[in-house]
Amino acid sequence: MDIRRFFTSTKPVAQKASNGSTSTSTDEEQKKKQKSRPKVKSSTSDEKPSGKRKKRVIVDSDSEEEKKVKTKKSTKETSTIPTEKKHPVTYVSDSDSDGTFETLKKPKPKENGTAKGKKESDSGKAKQVKVSSSKSPVKSPSTVKGGVKSSQPTISPKVAPTPPKQMPTSVMAFFGSSSVQRSEKKMVASSSTKRKAPLETDESLSDEAIAKELQMDEDKELEKQIHDDEEFARTLAMLDDAPLPKKARVDSISPSKSSSQAIASDIKPKKDLSPKTSPVKTSSKLAQMKRRQEERDEQGKKDKGEKQIKISPKKEPISPTSSERAATPKTASASAGMAKSRNLSTPKSESVASKTSPTKPENTSPDDLEKKRANSSAYRSYLNREGPRALGSKDIPQGEENCLEGCVFVLTGVLESMERDEAKSLIERYGGKVTGNVSRKTTYLVLGRDSGVSKTEKAESFGTKIINEDELLDLIRTKPGKKSKYEIAAEAENKSSKTRTPDSRGKVASSAKKATPQGPSPNKRSSSGGKSKPGSASKSGARGASCSEVKKSLSFDQTKTASPVSHSAPENDGSSLLWVDKYRPRSLKNLIGQQGDQSCANKLLRWLQSWHKHHSGNAKAPAPKFGKFGSKDDGSGFKAALLSGPPGVGKTTTAALVCEELGYSYVEMNASCTRSKNSLKEVIAESLNNTSIKNFYTGASQTVSSKHVLIMDEVDGMAGNEDRGGIQEMIGLIKQSKIPIICMCNDRNHQKIRSLANYCYDLRFQRPRVEQIKGAMMSIAFKEGLKIPPPALNEVILASNQDIRQVLHNLSMWSAKDKVMTYDQAKADANNAKKDMKLGPFDVCRKVFALGEETAHMSLIDKSDLFFHDYSLAPLFVQENYLHVRPAAAGGNLKSHLVLLSKTADSICDGDLVDRQIRSKQTWSLLPTQAIYASVLPGELMRGYMSQFPNFPSWLGKFSSSGKHSRIIQELASHMSLKTLSSKEAVNLDYLPYLRSAVLKPLQSLGSEGANQSVKLMDDYDIIKEDVDNMMEISTWDGQPDPYSKLDSKVKAAFTRAYNKESHLTPYSLQVVKKSRKGAVDPELLGELDNESQVQEEEEDDGLGADAMIKQKKSKPAKETKPAKDVKKEKPGPSGKGKGRGKGKAKN
Amino acid sequence: MSLWVDKYRPTSLAKLDYHKEQANQLKNLVQCGDFPHLLVYGPSGAGKKTRIMCLLRELYGAGVEKLRIEHQSITTPSKKKLEINTIASNYHLEVNPSDAGNSDRVVIQELIKTVAQSQQIQSSAQREFKVVLLTEVDRLTKDAQHALRRTMEKYMATCRLILCCNSTSKVIAPIRSRCLAVRVPLPSVEEVCSVLSGVCRKEGLLLPPELAKQIAEKSGRNLRKALLMCEACRVQQYPFSPDQDIPETDWEVYLRETANAIVSQQSPQRLLEVRARLYELLTHCISPEVIMKGLVTELLSNCDGHLKAEVAQMAAYYEHRLQLGNKAIYHLEAFVAKFMAIYKKFMEDGLGNFMF
Repeated sequence: MDIRRFFTSTKPVAQKASNGSTSTSTDEEQKKKQKSRPKVKSSTSDEKPSGKRKKRVIVDSDSEEEKKVKTKKSTKETSTIPTEKKHPVTYVSDSDSDGTFETLKKPKPKENGTAKGKKESDSGKAKQVKVSSSKSPVKSPSTVKGGVKSSQPTISPKVAPTPPKQMPTSVMAFFGSSSVQRSEKKMVASSSTKRKAPLETDESLSDEAIAKELQMDEDKELEKQIHDDEEFARTLAMLDDAPLPKKARVDSISPSKSSSQAIASDIKPKKDLSPKTSPVKTSSKLAQMKRRQEERDEQGKKDKGEKQIKISPKKEPISPTSSERAATPKTASASAGMAKSRNLSTPKSESVASKTSPTKPENTSPDDLEKKRANSSAYRSYLNREGPRALGSKDIPQGEENCLEGCVFVLTGVLESMERDEAKSLIERYGGKVTGNVSRKTTYLVLGRDSGVSKTEKAESFGTKIINEDELLDLIRTKPGKKSKYEIAAEAENKSSKTRTPDSRGKVASSAKKATPQGPSPNKRSSSGGKSKPGSASKSGARGASCSEVKKSLSFDQTKTASPVSHSAPENDGSSLLWVDKYRPRSLKNLIGQQGDQSCANKLLRWLQSWHKHHSGNAKAPAPKFGKFGSKDDGSGFKAALLSGPPGVGKTTTAALVCEELGYSYVEMNASCTRSKNSLKEVIAESLNNTSIKNFYTGASQTVSSKHVLIMDEVDGMAGNEDRGGIQEMIGLIKQSKIPIICMCNDRNHQKIRSLANYCYDLRFQRPRVEQIKGAMMSIAFKEGLKIPPPALNEVILASNQDIRQVLHNLSMWSAKDKVMTYDQAKADANNAKKDMKLGPFDVCRKVFALGEETAHMSLIDKSDLFFHDYSLAPLFVQENYLHVRPAAAGGNLKSHLVLLSKTADSICDGDLVDRQIRSKQTWSLLPTQAIYASVLPGELMRGYMSQFPNFPSWLGKFSSSGKHSRIIQELASHMSLKTLSSKEAVNLDYLPYLRSAVLKPLQSLGSEGANQSVKLMDDYDIIKEDVDNMMEISTWDGQPDPYSKLDSKVKAAFTRAYNKESHLTPYSLQVVKKSRKGAVDPELLGELDNESQVQEEEEDDGLGADAMIKQKKSKPAKETKPAKDVKKEKPGPSGKGKGRGKGKAKN
Repeated sequence: MSLWVDKYRPTSLAKLDYHKEQANQLKNLVQCGDFPHLLVYGPSGAGKKTRIMCLLRELYGAGVEKLRIEHQSITTPSKKKLEINTIASNYHLEVNPSDAGNSDRVVIQELIKTVAQSQQIQSSAQREFKVVLLTEVDRLTKDAQHALRRTMEKYMATCRLILCCNSTSKVIAPIRSRCLAVRVPLPSVEEVCSVLSGVCRKEGLLLPPELAKQIAEKSGRNLRKALLMCEACRVQQYPFSPDQDIPETDWEVYLRETANAIVSQQSPQRLLEVRARLYELLTHCISPEVIMKGLVTELLSNCDGHLKAEVAQMAAYYEHRLQLGNKAIYHLEAFVAKFMAIYKKFMEDGLGNFMF
């Protein structure tokens, strides 16, 4: 409501421009917000090249956050003291606080000059340290000045606020030149600022011209700017929502923040820093801020003083308010009591905080063990914590819209009537925010049963209001509704769009002005080309676009997909377009997540830019493709680039835009074209050597340019019969191409692409991060008049797995129904649209038994879907792991645990029965039934805590080993079958143990002398040495060593010798045996066996069965190795003859 | 030097040691010329195979004892090659179709048909029919059994089937009705004892009757096992002492230990251990039925009166499902889990009653 008031007030005031105080102040604030917020964004974009930049950005965001708090606070104040607000002089309440604050602060700034560095160094915050280290030259003067200035405020309350406010401008004034100098240290920075300097003048000139033109509407313009800014600011503000709690947490953790004073001091320098460091950073936004302020200076220097005075009080209270907010949230409603409460709260929080921070380490060191024990017991109890006891017992009240807006909640413990998830979404539905940890920002701690001690303690230390579940519901019931800030933003958007039309030029100019210096793009360009800027300008001039438009198109806020151009264009013709096309990035700057210097888009840009440089000279002598040192770095050695990445991240768009940017015309071939070897040869080979005359004809260019690019989209789709040989041909083309080729694929590691990848400059696109997409989506949503709360948008983005295209499609689809999306609706829709994620079997197994929020809302279908992730493996996993689960339902009772286990096992058995039906009768329609029995029911019964990572099903291994054993036994049984006349099973159960001992007994008792006896027994049973080994193998239990291996090696050798001494006639052919275990047996033995059987066969039968003969040939390389032995062994036993004859007959 | 069990195997119907009346009947059957299909069934170790071989000798004379092992390779309609071991003499063919697993139907169709279709050429043969001996018929799939039905009738002139199995319950009724069923029951303890002492006498050993009885009981009247045990005892210690320790097979020991583990503690951890043990048994190709039986026998001995009935009923239930299902371990484990749950409840309740 506060913000709304702001806006309602600004309008008339701004138009009048006489009072101008509040409006400009808001203006100022907005700008400030804007200034800092884009930075937040830029910090989120991970492509930022310089680490320094990032660090600074963090600081900015921090300060920004403070500012936001401050603005809220200040607006609150305005709400309570609306009359006083307008008067610049009458800050009764404020001055009060200021006074106290100042007094508190006073010693600090004085110290600041000297003790600042120290303070910062001892503050554990890495960011600050970094900042201090990196920015030390800049900071030291600034801090000194800050100190000087802050000492001023004590003189009069009116002046007091000024210093922090003035800071930016004054710094600008003083360091305007020096900043440039300093920036020379950093190449990137210097280039941008230098380049900016001339531009600036131009722009300022043009701006001034425009300003003159539009002097009549100046205020309007200003207001528009505000709106424009607001649009940014809002979208960005939404971005801030997520990072906020984290930062807060950091704050609370850091020991440096032990006292609120320290915080105040921290904030102060940060605030001071932000403007001052700006030139060094060359953050375009700050520079732009500067410029704007300079403008304003020019326009009305008188006003400024007033403005600043007015604004400053708002700024001043930041530090106290922030701490105060934490300490006494919501309670500070009465203006009268405010000062007092503030006074009270600050020291209180100070003391508490200071207390907590030192106590922590103390606690841990001496009572370490005790605490550990307590923790572990607490954890144990946490594991055994029951769910809500009275789920749904309380009515969820219908609160007013956004009644919880601005409140930050932390939930702890088990709420009785609702799940944690429900509570969270309930709070979020009413605009509240739920964070994980208690911090100073936390407004309420919702306390449930078995709540965490640490959270409560922390909340107490911060003075956070602790409420229980009922109170939360009451809060929702009773709190007055607010208009959501998004709605406000949307309204503002509408308003601005209404007013925009007449003076769009001016707005455009201003936005352009704002935008030009921003972003790394100019830096990049200047670093690479140096003259690219004028070039582009001339290009645009050729196009005949207006100067302002050029600027606009060239430079707009980088993170936005929808530049003004793209925005205005669809308004004309975009109604029938898909959003994806409507808001397709029209320039390189608008690409989402491709802004960093090392981003794929920029790499591609540089590669393409220098392509002709690298390859034109090599036309006669083709340069070596790779192996060149550093070729990986910029890809200069490659004639083609390969863009790879998941769908929907903008590969095609990037390629097209890069080509456009560099003035290349491109031919695109995608999967819809036939791309076989021949067609590629015919179609492309020619065009690769062609030069384009398109521009020449259209008059865009005076010369025939050879600048064209072949874009091969979806190269991984080059497959099948249609595109046979396509990849190979492609590689050939790349080798001799005279133009750059850009290939695109999804899976770079695909078999088909691998060969191609060797010839390409490898550029891998990553999914943009949620924040990056969110910003762009938010602005599109506003442009489409779609109202969607950011948390919901978060869900939408996550649900589509950060696929920008899909997010847009989804938004487009849902907005067709209703322009206003509620949180619930969006969340539900997002869930529906959730891209099906493939879970691994381990995850499935874990999820089957998982208790709590993850699975609480899964429907029966969802649960059985888990089974279908892999229906052949899932039941095995469930069966393997259900014993490891401690079911929550048992509550630690062993008896009921066992009952549950038994029920689960029964259900799994049922699943097995169904499985049998499915597999034997091919009744696959029964799969859902199996899903219920094999996965859902066990999951339901055993739902609880798994004590370990799911095991891989041992059934598979056991099954294969039992299969192996069964083969061995079958072989044994068949070898022995003439003698034993018994089945496999009987052999296994009855014979084997005794036969084993019978074979081994002579060896054990008689040693080497017993060998012959054993061999005799073996011969009687027609078993060979190998069978004995197998017998030993399968008769060991539980990994105990078999008795044979325990024998003395001498005895074993004697046994082997005795066995080898004579040939053994077997009634069965050994080929089959060999065949099955060719690899396993050593060739010596094999050869021998072969010889044996050969002897037998040769002497007894000339007409061997054809099949046996063939087999023999195949597997008999060793036959010739021992011809001598053959001769020696030709002494068949009498019994063998009969057998042999029989065999021969049978074969015939 | 064979094991006793094979060394002293009777080779003619006249030499059989027990069920002599049945032996006489079989002899008469052979002599009267009209030899039907036979379905010989009975528990393992009762002497079915021995009896069949005696019968075949009675039919064809000593020539039937010249056995050979053959590899037959059969191509299934789906071009899959099957290899199967057969034991054959000039007069008969012994096949275990269940070796071929799921393709046993093809074995029945191809192998038996080809054998059955060919006429006996040897003039010296007394019989105009050959005999096909199918073992483990109860393991045949239903498909294979149905394939067998018609073959049995169609080639009656040239071929007789002797089916050998442990239980007729898994043999489909049409086949049962086409065969003369011959049940070979286990020998009684006395018969086992007499066989044992007879064998020992032939070996020139003196077997104390107490030990013989003990062995007979311990072997569960499985004559093969009894003989093997007896020989093991001989190897272990001679002269025999009446109260001598009879060596058991490893798997029996292991199974008993498993059962004891179940009884001694009921907890999820123990269930896990038991699962591992069951897996061990299964990988040693101890059939789940045997495991189940062994477990139940051990468990029942540890149960109280009315719990016994419940456990027995439970065991039957799970054994039945085990037949219907694919993965034996599931059912064995379910049985163990169920037993644990029931037993735990029973013990705690019993304890509770005792205390109050």
